[in-house]
Amino acid sequence: MIPEGTILTEVLTQLVVVVTIALLLSIGLFVGRERLVETTAAWRSRFRASAPAIGVLLVVLLLNRVVRWRGDQISSAVGGIHMTETFYRFEGEFILLFQSIATDELTMYFSAIYIYGYTFMLVFPVVAYFALSDSRIFRRLLTAYSLNYLLGLSLYLLVIAYGPRNVMPEVLEVTMLYDNSPQYQHLTREVNRPTNVFPSLHTSLAAIVAMFAYTTRSSYPKWFPVAVVLAISVAISTMYLGIHWAIDVVAGLALAAICVVLSDHLVGRWSLTELYESARHRLEERRRNGE
Amino acid sequence: MSKREPVSNDTTGGRGYSRRAMLAGSAGLTVATSGCVRQVRTVVNRDDVEQLSLTITTLPADGDRESIQLAREVAAVLEAAGIDVSIEMRSNEEFLRAVLINHDFDLCVGQHPGGTDPDFLYEALHSLYADESGWQNPFGFANLRVDDLLEEQRRTDGDDREAAVEELLEEVVREQPFVPICVPEEHRMVRTDRFDGWEDGHPATRLGYLGLEPSEGTDRLRAVHVDARPSQNINPLTAEYRDHDPFVDLLYDSLATERDGDLEPWLAESWAYEDGVLEVQLREGCRFHDDEPLDADDVEFTYELLRDTELEEGESPSPPPQYRGPAGIVEDVERRDDHELELEVDAGEAVAERALTVPILPEHIWDDRATPATVPGVRVAGGTTEAVTTDNVPPIGSGPFRFGSRTERAHLTLERYDDHFTLRNDVDLPGPTVGELRIQIDPRSTSAIELVSTDSADVTSSILETYVLDDIEEADDTAMLESPSWTFYHLGFNARRAPFGNPRFRRAVAGLIDKAWLAEDVFHGYAEPTATPVADEWTPDDLVWDGEDPVTPFLGGDGDLDVDAAREAFEDAGFRYDGETLRVRR
Repeated sequence: MIPEGTILTEVLTQLVVVVTIALLLSIGLFVGRERLVETTAAWRSRFRASAPAIGVLLVVLLLNRVVRWRGDQISSAVGGIHMTETFYRFEGEFILLFQSIATDELTMYFSAIYIYGYTFMLVFPVVAYFALSDSRIFRRLLTAYSLNYLLGLSLYLLVIAYGPRNVMPEVLEVTMLYDNSPQYQHLTREVNRPTNVFPSLHTSLAAIVAMFAYTTRSSYPKWFPVAVVLAISVAISTMYLGIHWAIDVVAGLALAAICVVLSDHLVGRWSLTELYESARHRLEERRRNGE
Repeated sequence: MSKREPVSNDTTGGRGYSRRAMLAGSAGLTVATSGCVRQVRTVVNRDDVEQLSLTITTLPADGDRESIQLAREVAAVLEAAGIDVSIEMRSNEEFLRAVLINHDFDLCVGQHPGGTDPDFLYEALHSLYADESGWQNPFGFANLRVDDLLEEQRRTDGDDREAAVEELLEEVVREQPFVPICVPEEHRMVRTDRFDGWEDGHPATRLGYLGLEPSEGTDRLRAVHVDARPSQNINPLTAEYRDHDPFVDLLYDSLATERDGDLEPWLAESWAYEDGVLEVQLREGCRFHDDEPLDADDVEFTYELLRDTELEEGESPSPPPQYRGPAGIVEDVERRDDHELELEVDAGEAVAERALTVPILPEHIWDDRATPATVPGVRVAGGTTEAVTTDNVPPIGSGPFRFGSRTERAHLTLERYDDHFTLRNDVDLPGPTVGELRIQIDPRSTSAIELVSTDSADVTSSILETYVLDDIEEADDTAMLESPSWTFYHLGFNARRAPFGNPRFRRAVAGLIDKAWLAEDVFHGYAEPTATPVADEWTPDDLVWDGEDPVTPFLGGDGDLDVDAAREAFEDAGFRYDGETLRVRR
């Protein structure tokens, strides 16, 4: 799927290296040796218990890939609505607020957060929650991710909008991610189209992670404040870098809340083993009645 | 989105609906009590008067950084003049599809391809083309006087033609079918340590990439292009994917090639004009990239296809959205033998030669494409053929480079076509001097510059966006290349929709646009404000820009609109104000 291109490879390698280092450090810091040892012993059963949630997430990610690539065609088929003007009229130049505090250091910080911080934030909880003895929170996290992509993608298809950087390029010149670090556009255009703006999936995923960090603060007390700082930084970075409107960020937060609540309702509702048992039961009964 | 479609005067349009519904409701009551049916009907059936609202269609900054800024400035002055404006952004190909193919716009802001010869206006404005799609009259402009002058400049030569062009331009700026805003400068960055001879050809044409002198051991020319479309579609006839790029011209030959506004022999060895007939002598022994011979049949076929992409099999002609201007000059083609043709043309010598600039397409490939097409997910109008919708990969032409490979949005790689006539010993024309031409797609001007600076590319084949020009640092082995520009930024009106068909309205709008300020502010000074859409040498003295627009001067100064003067202009044009808002009858 990845086209040739040295810049892309470079950026990807860099991303993998940075995130791996951050993961190793934070596993040592937040998860701890004990849990790791425990996990190596129990990973089979935990994996089996979580298989459906993992399967669903993989299917959703695949769908995500297809839809983001063919989105324009699907959008025009389902009658997506152009909303850029509506957003711009609604909030005007609100996000330029962040331009007034812009410095080179902040631009570097938020660029790093947008690319590296975000990727790390997505991956770390997967490892951390797999290391918990109760697999429910792990399954809930994966389910929340799946829901987030499903709902987010549907909104992408329905709402066609360009971000601030496409509307007011001249005022965002200083902080605009792709002007300062054009190499990142090679990465982001692999996963996104410029009209995938509403809602901000960066914000929603980061917020989901922060909300889970709150739920699990007794298991991972040190991770919670870190997650909150990271999540807030990610949300601000999307506006600071001119990628999202404030309205996208608000929608992202709402989407995150919905996904977290829904994941609580959905996970554990159906057990595959039970479904299988009851189906077998019914089948046997029918056979008996038939005889 | 929101309130648009000023043409729809039925009851489905927003506010008008509710007010009319209310009127109708109360009318029902009145009828029941008084029975004065006729009087009520005269009241209710009157169309509503409401604020004029319009949409400006343009490109997002990813597609064209300057267009969106211009559109926002235009929107601001129109709003100040009491018009409700919304901006609709479309990606490159969707923008062109909306404007050129479906004519689904009120006003549009973008780059017009223009032309080195004023005859491009024939294609752009002749009313015969108002119902076709493509760059031929997307504005739906129709004016018999302009038609006459367009035809006159086509048929005349020398001083007569100059006079006709002058008269034509006077009429065009009076009518303002579109408002030409400014001509952007074309700057590109090149590596001088790897290639010499960059100045010899215009880098928006094939000659810019031929005849270059590579340094010792260099066999690869690396271009970097910010627009991904050439990697997605290489069909010369697809208007949405063709812009100011030279790659189609490198893959396909035309009979003549343009250098500094003049035409030189290319695939045609020579031609002679006499009394409305162009006698063309083709080069012998030319072949397409698939080794099929290229002869007079292919040339004849090409002009037929450019007249009707269904080759007269359909109920009515389906002209392609590209090359209509030059191809329309040719009325009939007669093949004398394999290498000799007679083109019957409806033009004087000066314009007739323009007909020779279209790409020659292989009959054995395009013959099958002359059938109606379907594209999933896209509204396809009747008469749209495969010839227009195919992505044409791999392209089979006869040009100096042949198709090598491509990855969508990553690269398009061409290889030298060793049998090309420019490589023959007895032909003294610039040919391909490298084995490979690789066009890498890179989304931004900033990174394109970086690629050239770090010796990862030799030329930025796209025009650099003006906002990066001030920051470019000089270096020993790179250079900036400035080339003459014939494209221009414009504000287009869709004359099919009221009130944009009204020249008085268009003139009033033109007066709201501070072209000089926009050229300075949006283009950082790298653009020339203009009153006419043609090159300087064709601009009559009284239409030359002299600090302000000679016909529709800006109503204000230094970017600030004089709102009262603007209102007066609209009132003088016959429009009404209700308080702050400009009202029109729906």
